[in-house]
Amino acid sequence: MTSSAVSIPHGHDHGHAGHGDDHGHGHVTLQYQPGLPLSRGKLIMWLFLSTEIMFFAALLGSYVVLRFGAPIWPKPHHVHLSEPIGAFNTFVLICSSVSIVLALEAARANKVQLAKVWMVLTFLLGGLFLGVKGYEYSAKFSHGIYPVAPRGRIYERPDLYYGSAVRGRLEALRREPKDSWQSMRYSWAVRWHGSPQGAALAGWKEPETYDRLKELDEAAETSLTAEQIAGRRQLQQIQKMVLSPDQQAFDMAVVADQVMPLPAEGADHGTDHGNPEGGHGAHGLNDVFPWLKLPAVIPGGCMWASTYFLLTGFHAVHVIVGLIVFAVLLAYRLDAKRAGMIENAGLYWHFVDLVWIFMFPLLYLF
Amino acid sequence: MSDHGGSSHGPVTRSGESADETLHHSIEAGHDGHDGGHDGHGGIGKYLFVFLLLCGLTTLSFFTYSAAWPWRDQPQVGWAFMMAVSCTKAMLVILFFMHVWWEANWKYVLTIPAAMMALFLAIMLIPDVGMRNRMVSQERALHMARGSDLKLLEQAAAEDPLAAQAH
Repeated sequence: MTSSAVSIPHGHDHGHAGHGDDHGHGHVTLQYQPGLPLSRGKLIMWLFLSTEIMFFAALLGSYVVLRFGAPIWPKPHHVHLSEPIGAFNTFVLICSSVSIVLALEAARANKVQLAKVWMVLTFLLGGLFLGVKGYEYSAKFSHGIYPVAPRGRIYERPDLYYGSAVRGRLEALRREPKDSWQSMRYSWAVRWHGSPQGAALAGWKEPETYDRLKELDEAAETSLTAEQIAGRRQLQQIQKMVLSPDQQAFDMAVVADQVMPLPAEGADHGTDHGNPEGGHGAHGLNDVFPWLKLPAVIPGGCMWASTYFLLTGFHAVHVIVGLIVFAVLLAYRLDAKRAGMIENAGLYWHFVDLVWIFMFPLLYLF
Repeated sequence: MSDHGGSSHGPVTRSGESADETLHHSIEAGHDGHDGGHDGHGGIGKYLFVFLLLCGLTTLSFFTYSAAWPWRDQPQVGWAFMMAVSCTKAMLVILFFMHVWWEANWKYVLTIPAAMMALFLAIMLIPDVGMRNRMVSQERALHMARGSDLKLLEQAAAEDPLAAQAH
């Protein structure tokens, strides 16, 4: 298909048959003939993108089978996911796709300054996307939505296991360290010396603790807001429920509802578009007292957190790589000679946009 | 799309950039019909048009989330609709922003095998991963969330027994 791409006047493609006869016939100008009619950089980029297609197809495909194979999946508002924020990020990425393509056009036309302006804009939009993503992540983290146990405080069911987790956290709150930094150093020391006794022999003192729940119980009503006073009463009742020897599964559902209520079916759509927390109007104890950090029940929440952070995390890593590429490109003079580089960076960036086009509805709207 | 690919212009590229330029210009010549007479094969006007289309399509899929969406009780309709919208958006990005519309036939060599692999990957996940909840151990079923848990939580939220206890 590319017969005109080569000009080999003699001995078409059997270079091995050269045997010195090119000396007799003057110059044989051999030219590089690409297997596909495009530049090497672009070919490599497309090959890379085709591997990326398979990578993200596997990721999104496993998300789809996990999500539809799951016995229950949380609603977006159960996990503090805000659709308007996701839509805004989609818009940001679309804008950045346009700006990178305009940077390419400007560079092709040798408009160096204009190309740089579009490139800077692309970089800023990519950064904005990451910033919004970070804000979204922080909203999840503040509600204890992590994929794994040490920080993750998500329980699948409001059962007795959940009750025992709440009990464990309440007991820990009765022995809160006064100085969290000192407590962290002490725990490192314990790990280093193998045991608390070993740490004590090495001169480490156990950090001082105080009873945070008692402190709350004894706080004067004047120092608390009305919401905090009501929350304190709820907390006292919850303690009775989880410590009661004859607790029932339904009691645990009540506890879970007080700690972090899930919005009702009717209330979760179309009512709180403006809420940046991405959630419900209802306030749980974890919202009233952020230090409480009690385990919460989100049916299907663990699998949701794993897939959400894996998918958006891999996408965010791709965005970061794109930003690095743009930063490198910004160091160059973006003229027609660099158009190939910009085109390849742009192809990559459009692909990142493409992945988000599928991720946004799958994660936020399904 | 295919009639634009392997045109008689002979997509010719050498490793140099200058050849790239001639390639674009020679191929552009064949597209004046739907181009509306832009000089670059993209043209800012065309990119902005695609941009507006993308924004409009995003709004469309966001519409499924609004109260005005008529198939609220059948989520499958919304899912199918959103996937159709996403595929349309992806097509627009690939064809115009990634310039595939103006590329030669090599695009099929790269994209079709990758797309097939992607499809097979997803299909192969279904038996192992997607159906894993059909047969689970008792231990796992004990900890697995159920629809009844959600009902329990909603019931707890509706009844507010703490308030009842307090008074």
